[in-house]
Amino acid sequence: MSRAPWVRKALALVFAALCGLPVALLLLLSLAARWPYPRIWPQEIRLDPWRDLLDVAHGDLARTLLVSFVLSSAVALVATALSYLAAKRIASHRNRARLSLLAYAPYVMSPVVLGVCILYLYLRLGLAGTFWGVALAQTIFSTSFGVVFFLGFWTEEKRALEDLVRTLGGTTWQLYAKVLLPISRGALGLCAFQTFLISWFQYGLTVLIGGGAVRTLPMKVFDYINEANLSYAALASLLLVLPPVLLLWVNRRLFLRIV
Amino acid sequence: MFLEVQRLAKSFGSRPVLCGVDLSVPREQTFAILGRSGCGKTTLLKVLAGLEDPDAGTIRLGGEEITGLPPERRRALYLYQEPLLFPHLDAFENVAFGLRLRRTPDPEVRARVDSMLAELELVSEGRKLPHQLSGGQRQRVSFGRALIVEPALLLLDEPFSSLDGETRTAMQTLFKRVAAAHSITALFVTHSLKEALLMGDSIGLMRDGTLLTYPSKDDFLRDPQSGADAEIAFWTSLQRSTP
Amino acid sequence: MKISAPRSSKNRLERAAFALFLVVAVVPIAASLVYAFLYTIGLAGLLGGGFTGRSWSRVLGAAELWRSFGLSVAVAASVVAAATAGGLGLALGLRDEVRSGPLSSALYLPLALPFSVAGFVTYQLLAPTGLLSRLAFALGWVAGPADFPALTNDRFSIGIVVAHVALALPFMTLLFTELHGSERIGIFTALARSLGASPVQALRKVAVPMLLRRAATPMLLLFIVVLGSYEIPLLLGRQAPQMLSVLTYRKWQRFDILEKPEAFVVALAYTVFALGVLGLALRRSRLENGA
Repeated sequence: MSRAPWVRKALALVFAALCGLPVALLLLLSLAARWPYPRIWPQEIRLDPWRDLLDVAHGDLARTLLVSFVLSSAVALVATALSYLAAKRIASHRNRARLSLLAYAPYVMSPVVLGVCILYLYLRLGLAGTFWGVALAQTIFSTSFGVVFFLGFWTEEKRALEDLVRTLGGTTWQLYAKVLLPISRGALGLCAFQTFLISWFQYGLTVLIGGGAVRTLPMKVFDYINEANLSYAALASLLLVLPPVLLLWVNRRLFLRIV
Repeated sequence: MFLEVQRLAKSFGSRPVLCGVDLSVPREQTFAILGRSGCGKTTLLKVLAGLEDPDAGTIRLGGEEITGLPPERRRALYLYQEPLLFPHLDAFENVAFGLRLRRTPDPEVRARVDSMLAELELVSEGRKLPHQLSGGQRQRVSFGRALIVEPALLLLDEPFSSLDGETRTAMQTLFKRVAAAHSITALFVTHSLKEALLMGDSIGLMRDGTLLTYPSKDDFLRDPQSGADAEIAFWTSLQRSTP
Repeated sequence: MKISAPRSSKNRLERAAFALFLVVAVVPIAASLVYAFLYTIGLAGLLGGGFTGRSWSRVLGAAELWRSFGLSVAVAASVVAAATAGGLGLALGLRDEVRSGPLSSALYLPLALPFSVAGFVTYQLLAPTGLLSRLAFALGWVAGPADFPALTNDRFSIGIVVAHVALALPFMTLLFTELHGSERIGIFTALARSLGASPVQALRKVAVPMLLRRAATPMLLLFIVVLGSYEIPLLLGRQAPQMLSVLTYRKWQRFDILEKPEAFVVALAYTVFALGVLGLALRRSRLENGA
């Protein structure tokens, strides 16, 4: 536009700084021992919360981290595999348009609203308050995301490739092993990571279905906030932000496609 | 007859797409099917390849009924309009694909693919990925991939329609040569009158799910429905008007 | 002789996966909604003593639901409007900077924040004792926390909107930047200019409407996400009125057994509304795809 280049440069820098501000503030908070009003910089810096994190044997936070990681990995694995195949079925179905609406069903409901409605069913099935119950409930959201994601992936062209392999004499096993899985590697990875994050960030649904028995990292953030334990809340927040930031660091373009 | 199709019918919902198609093609001949888009040409080829199930009718290939066989056991190969090369494999591996499926020993794969690439004038293109090839080269790789598995029947769905005029002519010549060399029996679908006459040993006209076949090319040319008259009249009038 | 066709067997795996998807995701949601509805009219649950419209009339008749609804819609609409306007401004005004340089990388950082963390950070920034208040104190603008304007848990939900916009603005900026390329906005703008449009006219009559048309579906989806958000209003909202998810959870959590069906009423009302918005979004996206 007509504005001077330096004005735009300066504006860009301001926005860039604002984008980095949350992570910087969290880092500072996690290190601040005492930070009374109206000081702009903490009065005392200490590494205790970080040291506690490494003390795996006694560390509550380290255990939560492990639970969260196992939970989200399991959800990502199941949701990705399931949605990959289910979306393929929907994509080749005559009623594709109508069936794909099913995948949007959980989008309509906020996690808390869904949790309130679904809890009774989970109670009756003995799933409420268990690790697998939470995993299953989170799989609802992750799988739906995955199906919507893969519906865009299973195009006419993929279908034509599949037909081609068939007429060349390929069996179902060969079709997947030699063609479909190799050309889906990128998409599968993206979907797995995104479904991991959906589970990793989930709060309301976990609280409702887990009923306090399953403690994940986002719940820990709220626990610490309620205890007014700001440096631990900041540390837990940083741990929560770590996986996506790592991916961002590894590959920015990849990141854009999954957000 | 090598390929014999009888009373083949197929509907999508309430819309009939094939209404009792009869067709026979002798061994090592190319049968060209002329028709506009949406006339059922593609469906006919897909049914023959086993990619769609027919509602009624029989298909016999080499004397054996193949109507209910799954596509991988028919030896009838359907080629799309697009070359559809596997994006994760280079030209060599694309051609080798069918042999790999059959677990052909590696030295044999190498020898056969190399000679196929040579035949298709692709020797220096072997290690290129699909996106590094030109349109004509991609189409040739696609042919090589089909021919190397020695299909009993080749089903070509407007294979050259995405190519520019010059490449198209070159590919038509190449196809005739290769088809003869490999004793190929083929069904060649096109919407171009000229291409149908050029490629087909015999010709059929497809319209609204029915196939009209002619005893000879001359019979086809004499049928006003073929559009040949109009075409000839156009060129003759053009010739007359130029001094 | 017709050989039996094993062709359909190739889909067995996919059929099974699809069936499992229905069992895991779709059926429980449908069953739960039906159960919730029966509960609200007294045909299921602890109070299931026969048909009654009491819960519905109580919730629909009370101002609480409508105020919560109004607040949620207002917040969601403000977030979508602010993020869209800001995103357009950044994508068009700072196009080169968004594409390369420090901003191009930094823009991705807020996308890595979950709602809970965004709410927490926003509180630490905007609260009466937050960083902004301390800066204002240092500059001599306020005399203390009590003097600082309420930006969290406030009447106008400023904190909630700020937290959501902070997450959505970078997303919209990247979206518009991407669309600018894929929709060849540059070419169309140049065309408009050569047809005699001024730079402002080219922007207002060509670039902005073209971008908004393509972004309509993501905008509606953003609206739904904010509408149903829980963590951010939980941390930054007021006791009354509360946004819909917070209200649902609070009513459900109450010891008063009469409030449970009311939680379901709120949940169902929310679902119906969100369904309408989603239907609109999907219709739009189908129109865009020309199907």
